[in-house]
Amino acid sequence: MLSIDKQKDIEHVTLILDGQVDASNSVELDDEIKEVLSLNYKTILVDGSGLDYISSAGLGVFMSYLEDFEEKDIQFLIFGLSDKVANVFHILGLDQLITLKANKEDALKTINEA
Amino acid sequence: MVKLPNINIGKIILLVSMLTWLGLLFVDLLRLFGKVNQMNLGIAEEITYTLEIIFFILVYLFYSRSIELNENNNFIQLIWRAASTGMMALGTSLLTRVFYIILGNTRLSTDPLLANFFYHVNFGMITIFLISCTLLWKKLILYQKNKNIVQQWQIYEVMLLVSMFYVYFNKNSFGSTFLFGLLLLLILGIILSVNLKWIPYLTFKDKWKSILFFFIILVTGTFLFFQVLGYDNSSYIIVSLTDNLFLLGLFGFVITYSLFSLLVTLFNLPTSSVFEQKLTEAINFQKLSQSIQPGQNETQVLDILMDSCMSAAYADAAWLEIMDDDKNFQTLHQRFITNQTRKEVRELIQKSKSFSEYLNQLSQTSQDYANGFIEHELYKSALIIPIWVNKTLLGNIFLLKEVKNGFNKEMLNIMVTFVGQASISVENHRLLNQAIRNERYKEELKIAQRVQRSLLPSELHHNKDFDIVGFSEAADEVGGDYYETFQFDNHRFALIIGDVSGKGTSAAFNMSQMKGVFHSLVQLDLSPKEFLTRANNALSRCLAKNHFITTTYYVLDTDKKSISFSRAGHCPTLYYSKELNQSSFVSLEGMGLGIVRNRKYPNYLHERTIQYVSGDIMVMYTDGIVESKNQNGEEFGYDRLKEVLNQNKENQPEMIKNNIIQSVYDFVGKSALPDDDYSLMVIKFN
Repeated sequence: MLSIDKQKDIEHVTLILDGQVDASNSVELDDEIKEVLSLNYKTILVDGSGLDYISSAGLGVFMSYLEDFEEKDIQFLIFGLSDKVANVFHILGLDQLITLKANKEDALKTINEA
Repeated sequence: MVKLPNINIGKIILLVSMLTWLGLLFVDLLRLFGKVNQMNLGIAEEITYTLEIIFFILVYLFYSRSIELNENNNFIQLIWRAASTGMMALGTSLLTRVFYIILGNTRLSTDPLLANFFYHVNFGMITIFLISCTLLWKKLILYQKNKNIVQQWQIYEVMLLVSMFYVYFNKNSFGSTFLFGLLLLLILGIILSVNLKWIPYLTFKDKWKSILFFFIILVTGTFLFFQVLGYDNSSYIIVSLTDNLFLLGLFGFVITYSLFSLLVTLFNLPTSSVFEQKLTEAINFQKLSQSIQPGQNETQVLDILMDSCMSAAYADAAWLEIMDDDKNFQTLHQRFITNQTRKEVRELIQKSKSFSEYLNQLSQTSQDYANGFIEHELYKSALIIPIWVNKTLLGNIFLLKEVKNGFNKEMLNIMVTFVGQASISVENHRLLNQAIRNERYKEELKIAQRVQRSLLPSELHHNKDFDIVGFSEAADEVGGDYYETFQFDNHRFALIIGDVSGKGTSAAFNMSQMKGVFHSLVQLDLSPKEFLTRANNALSRCLAKNHFITTTYYVLDTDKKSISFSRAGHCPTLYYSKELNQSSFVSLEGMGLGIVRNRKYPNYLHERTIQYVSGDIMVMYTDGIVESKNQNGEEFGYDRLKEVLNQNKENQPEMIKNNIIQSVYDFVGKSALPDDDYSLMVIKFN
């Protein structure tokens, strides 16, 4: 089960994930990111505090957009991940490519510093 | 052994009965000869009676056999057989009369011996006619028999048998007991004669035929009956053969049954079309309900449906429109209507508000049909029945009649049932085809599974310095886990374990690519980091954008007692150190293959070498193990895995592997299906 909400602010957009991302619903996540990308925000945040589990297929979705973010010079941050989910990112090495932050404040601070 | 010749019992009975008849003739003629010449030859009447009874019984047996053997008689053939036998008896009788007319007043015409001969001939024919009719009627009466009717018939047969022997007691005189016996036979005959269940099954034409045949039988029977009565006063008959309770009883039965049948058939004529219609409907229904054979198509069922509906409604014209894939209607079947007229009527229907509204509805409603009036020069009423299969519209049947209000409730009910049945047939057909397709896919997957299993090694390379075991199980038929070993020389080995992102078929394809990459690169004897860098280069060109592979590559040297490895995003290796007497996960930074597809990739890779001692254990696994969940959604996790290894530190690799798998299964619970692929390699150093 996965539900995705969008919250649009003036300078950034936040995707709020709730539930689990696995092979069966990773397409939904993919569609959402594609849509958000088309909105031309310079900063995209993902609120992963409600995320219980992410499978390799889910990680694959984030991974597949890294190049797009780089090309379009978009800042992409994930915040609020539980230790367990963050560990999954860490083991794969994705935390070296995607900025992970503990909470929204930290995430916003990182943006402003940049 | 003497082989008995193949005796035809029917022919023997026929022969014996003819001989009996000749005997009867001879005895009677002899007696008459004695009387004429005023000699008493002392021939008792009982001889005649006995021969007569034997003759009756033989004829009865002969016909009984002959009718039984002829199984595929239909009703009309049976009745025709009776009528033709009757005509033969009638013909014989009439020919005798003609013969006497020709003789005129010659001396021969008053010859008692000749007269007696003809009397015997006619007696024989009458007997044959009556007995054959009785047995044919038996067949008709016992059509759709039940126990009661069979019992009644058996009683009647016994009574007929008794009546044959009655002749011994009363010498053929009409007494009150004779009349009583006759009455009894008649009453039972009438009771049996109400069994006329075969009549409705005749077609209209056959009914007319049977009326004709019964008429012939009645005329014949009546004529012969009066002829028999006429014999009474003849001087040449000393011992009467025909004033017999059995024969008279049969007369009564044959004539009664013929009369009943004639009348009932006659009164059935007007309603026979209704019965035929119902029968056709039943047959149509059966045809529709037979599922379509694989390989045939739905058109046949729709064809039968069209015919069934048309005959049920007595429709004058009809056509069937089928919705094609683009939601357009195509005319599939067309009956008794030209393309031109069909287009005209279709336009009229489109203009009519009630019809077009009905046709435009998108989902199935409680209204099963649209019935109404159209203003066409030829057709006055129209009916539309939609065919819904599995909640989607298959098409519409259009039926037209030349009269107003041509479709009544009964017709509509039957047609709706027909359509319902046809829909079920079509649906079953589709489901069957789907099931066959699914079965084929399953077979294909089984083949894929076999092929994929063969990609995993059955033997792992090792030498006396270490033992190694492997295990892999896929969540679906095929999976994306991979492990393999390679031996460079007698002391150096390569080990790899990997997990392809996603699961199922796509993962399985990528896994086989991984295997190819491994076998190509391992030949080069590279350092772990270099190996993974090149593997990343290769796979970056092979994997889809959102796919990646995690792996750890190890180079083991048993001379140096060292393990060098590099981790590409794969789960950290679990290592039991004998010296520290504890298990831990070996930490090392890394990055999955296919995530960074450029020159920067090596920057994310690291290499580490550890020295092992005897008793150390290394467990390589995939994330399916640590991420397997129990019913509460809790993961097996790293700590439990570590704990299991600690408990099994003294065991051999095989045992360690089994215990890890067992504890994962125990944790997940028996009922749960594996959610991800599990793989495991265990090494213990000696």
